[in-house]
Amino acid sequence: MLNKLVRWSRIKSPWILHLNSGACNACDIEIVAALTPRFDVERLGVLLKATPRHADVIIASGPVTRQIKDRIVRIYDQVPDPKFVIAVGACAMSGCVYRGAYNIEGGIDQVIPVDVYVPGCPARPDAIVDAVVKLLGKL
Amino acid sequence: MKFQIPIGPQHPALKEPISLRMTVEGEVIRDADIRLGYNHRGVEKLAEEKNWVQNIYLTERICGICSHSHSTCYVQGVEKLMEITPPRRGLYLRYLVSELERVHSHLLWLGVAGHEAGFDSFFMYTWRDREIVMDLLEMISGNRVHYAMNCLGGVRRDIDEAQKAKILEGVATLRKRSEYYFRIGASEPSFVARIAGVGLLSKELAVKLCAVGPTARASSITRDVRKEDPCAVYDELDFAVGTADSCDVLGRVVVRVQELLESYKLIEQMIHKLPDGDIAVKAPRKAKAGEVVSRYEAPRGENLHYIKSNGTDKPERLKVRAPTLANYPATVEMLRNGFIADIPLIFAAIDPCICCAERTVTLVNFRSGEETIVPLSDLRRQAAERRTNAPAKRNAVWPF
Amino acid sequence: MTDIEIVEKLRRDLGPAALEVANPDRRRIFLKVAPGSLTAAARLLRDSYDCAYLATITGLDKGETFELLYHFASTEANINVRTEVPRTAPHIASITPVIPGAILYERELQDMFGLVVDGIPDARPLVLPDGWPAEDHPLRKDWKFQRPAEIIPGGKS
Repeated sequence: MLNKLVRWSRIKSPWILHLNSGACNACDIEIVAALTPRFDVERLGVLLKATPRHADVIIASGPVTRQIKDRIVRIYDQVPDPKFVIAVGACAMSGCVYRGAYNIEGGIDQVIPVDVYVPGCPARPDAIVDAVVKLLGKL
Repeated sequence: MKFQIPIGPQHPALKEPISLRMTVEGEVIRDADIRLGYNHRGVEKLAEEKNWVQNIYLTERICGICSHSHSTCYVQGVEKLMEITPPRRGLYLRYLVSELERVHSHLLWLGVAGHEAGFDSFFMYTWRDREIVMDLLEMISGNRVHYAMNCLGGVRRDIDEAQKAKILEGVATLRKRSEYYFRIGASEPSFVARIAGVGLLSKELAVKLCAVGPTARASSITRDVRKEDPCAVYDELDFAVGTADSCDVLGRVVVRVQELLESYKLIEQMIHKLPDGDIAVKAPRKAKAGEVVSRYEAPRGENLHYIKSNGTDKPERLKVRAPTLANYPATVEMLRNGFIADIPLIFAAIDPCICCAERTVTLVNFRSGEETIVPLSDLRRQAAERRTNAPAKRNAVWPF
Repeated sequence: MTDIEIVEKLRRDLGPAALEVANPDRRRIFLKVAPGSLTAAARLLRDSYDCAYLATITGLDKGETFELLYHFASTEANINVRTEVPRTAPHIASITPVIPGAILYERELQDMFGLVVDGIPDARPLVLPDGWPAEDHPLRKDWKFQRPAEIIPGGKS
């Protein structure tokens, strides 16, 4: 009974943490634009939270730079289970134009396990909202 | 008793992950130290392995908010090396997109500044208005960010009469909506009181530390690359350079609002004066050996690209200096003797190329080494309470 | 002052210290000096040519030498000061006593090329990550990066 309530609240109102692992910020601006009145992902119950300990879903962008790699793993460990990761943008999927650079690992999936990939450079806010909805459908 | 507070790399006030370590005494910051490198992607090394055309797309992705200005600066330089001159219509279209990008960037920044000062409805208003500009950019180029309008020798897409009418209509709507922002000093005195006197940077310090862009112009340094190094279009258009002399965050807001007004004027002039003709000339595959220094005024300040060629189809050296890097030493000075609660506002005031992500501040007790985590929203609330109890600054004047 | 006047004035003020002065394009002046006279040239530019603003410092690996370009800008022209240091003795004096804003660019030079800037107030690395091997300098021409194999989760490698 309690499990059903918890699952219902997780689907109805996922709280997200936004992680920027060294990106050019276009995807990050589109993620924040998804909160503004035009696309308004808050009507789906999504709330942007400050701390990993309150979050359900991590939205990550950017090719992972070596300097930030350990911090990402630490943040991922701090998020309580069950957790989901959405990788936004071509950089987070495979590195985009930066593939082969000496300071770049590749996509987010080289560091933490990813559930949803959103392509685009940058990914449109509509695509990000679509990704969140698809993720909730899987839960 | 001094504490050291690390802020970052993940932080609500910071878009790009960078790490600031503050040494504090009570609530006053005594010293600040910046650790870069979280966003270092090795673009200069990558550029040596890609040819001239591929580098247009690489330089575009150095920054997401001012992407066209990096690409324009690069293309200007390479066109000089290849000794080709784009046609007038191509140049006008290129700088039209630049001015639209400046409008979108300043509206974005106004929203962020409002959010950091605790004025969230302002944030929502400006970002809603920004969507008008994003629609116009999408109509012209096909994408909201990273327009890929530049090619060597001109631009890739043309606009027709219907699109010109739409742009003029969009700018007229924005002008009407921006009236509210210009009157904001009169209608929201608490906003002005919150940002006045914060983040002081005197004119001598700004000159010594080589600050650029609106950060320097708010300390009465009237320098703008569009006036100094005009690129064949700006010397035919009529616009003024925005300055303020209050040397604080209020001055920076005033400068950016003035630049918004000037950009609306520039866009309208460019549409009316748009010449006919081709939009691009054909560019050779290899560039002659030589070197060129190319400068352009991005929304955040001066952008400098140094390109050296050795006669092949790849650059020998591409050096990029983005404006936010030049403002870092000035930021450290601004943070000194400020309050902890003002950190997000001061940092946002230089318009760092960083995106919002909610993060926290870790307070490290200097003696015992134990850590406590304080959410930044708590700090913001404490600051708002303190300001409501303190008398409003009497000499904070909104100039419009 | 026009470009020609600036070139003449530089030749007069620096005398034999100005090894080469070139004006390849409108508003672009390239001046070459020996590494020893760099700080004096920077001071002269700051005081008499209204060039208190240093845009950036570019480094270039030319094989036998490292070439450094200091980009100064005034409202009338861009004066770029060039100097060369041999690869076997990569030392250059810091100009932070004259232009305090140059500190970040000099730190970047140290990281990227392995140059040693004498008299720098703060010698920590600027952009390279913690744990980067100290002998690897990315922008040198002979340094190539070998990318480790990528693991694709759930797919073929």
